[in-house]
Amino acid sequence: MEELAEFLQTLSLENLITWLSQFEPAAIILAASALGAAIAMIAGIGPGIGQGFAAGKGAEAAGRKPGEIRQTTFVMLLGAAVAETSGIFSLIVALILLFASPLVNLDASWMILASSAIAAGIAMVAGIGPGVGQGYAAGKGVEAVSDRPDVQGSILRAMFLGQAVGQTTGIYALIIALILMFANPFL
Amino acid sequence: MEADFGIKTYFTIFGLNINSTILVTWSIMIILTVLALITRSKLQKVPGTLQLVMEMVVEGVHWLVDSTMGKGQRGFAPYILALTLYLLFANLTGIIGVRQPTADLNTTFALAIITFFMVHIHGIKAKGGFGYFKTFFEPLAFMFPLNIISELALPISLSFRLFGNMLGGVVILFLMYNFAPTIVPVIGHLYFDLFIGLIQTFIFVMLTLTFITLAKD
Repeated sequence: MEELAEFLQTLSLENLITWLSQFEPAAIILAASALGAAIAMIAGIGPGIGQGFAAGKGAEAAGRKPGEIRQTTFVMLLGAAVAETSGIFSLIVALILLFASPLVNLDASWMILASSAIAAGIAMVAGIGPGVGQGYAAGKGVEAVSDRPDVQGSILRAMFLGQAVGQTTGIYALIIALILMFANPFL
Repeated sequence: MEADFGIKTYFTIFGLNINSTILVTWSIMIILTVLALITRSKLQKVPGTLQLVMEMVVEGVHWLVDSTMGKGQRGFAPYILALTLYLLFANLTGIIGVRQPTADLNTTFALAIITFFMVHIHGIKAKGGFGYFKTFFEPLAFMFPLNIISELALPISLSFRLFGNMLGGVVILFLMYNFAPTIVPVIGHLYFDLFIGLIQTFIFVMLTLTFITLAKD
């Protein structure tokens, strides 16, 4: 009990940083890159939900109007492929952090570099939003095409436009992550 | 496990690095050009097999352009055909074990920049310079900066989407070949190279067509 109390007293940010300082800076930055890569992939939640909704709508359309299954499946695939984009952006950032971490050999404080690596990963979590939203748009697009297959062109245009506008916050996150990795303003 | 996903440079000409991307793109260009020349030299009233296949491809592109852009826009069809064929061939080179040229951000960004310029130039042609500039202030005037950023987001998302999909395939197939080399890479090639290659080709072309149409309306 006393040892626990003693241990709890030693927990402080100062001690954490002192403990971290004993490692080589490269090791800390690589560790932070690993953490950043993993956190970035949390954005996979979004496309998972969104594409699931689109798939559900696709299945519903196939059941309601089996004669148009080619068209509805086609629209579902297009919409789901665009909804995938947030996951792909996260994958790019994670792969860069894992295999070509640009922060490892830089000449600056390890604190800044390690935090930038983790921060790049955290920024990509924003991909959850566009993933869900674009998937919802895809699902509604499938529904609309199954109702009115003759206006597929206009429906697709509206769907793509909406999905592209919805992607912008994901792009902002990607830009911030790339800035943190490649054009870090703190160095 | 050492993994280097950089692109190999093979030699230099006049100081420019000639890497695998450029060599594969040159090969695709040669193949497509030869295909076109052979088809053209053998045109007959009753088509042979090659002519039939090429006619199907051209008709497919015409249908795509017509259904996405409306009638009367067949002028775009040649570029769209070239883009589709290049992307198809480029994305599918993964099947023969060659690193796709579209797995290089340079290629995808170049294609996205072409799309970007096409969108804005045709928008200006359709609405006049000042008229097109005014559309950025719709629906509300204060949305001008947001609209600008949306337009800039288009080439970024186009290029990174295609690049990311292809690079993801490259990495995952590398892992498959290293850890489960027996049958599993076949599934990897089927999904990542064939399926995703086709879909991403389609997405790129359809987004190009869609945004050109939206800029013209």
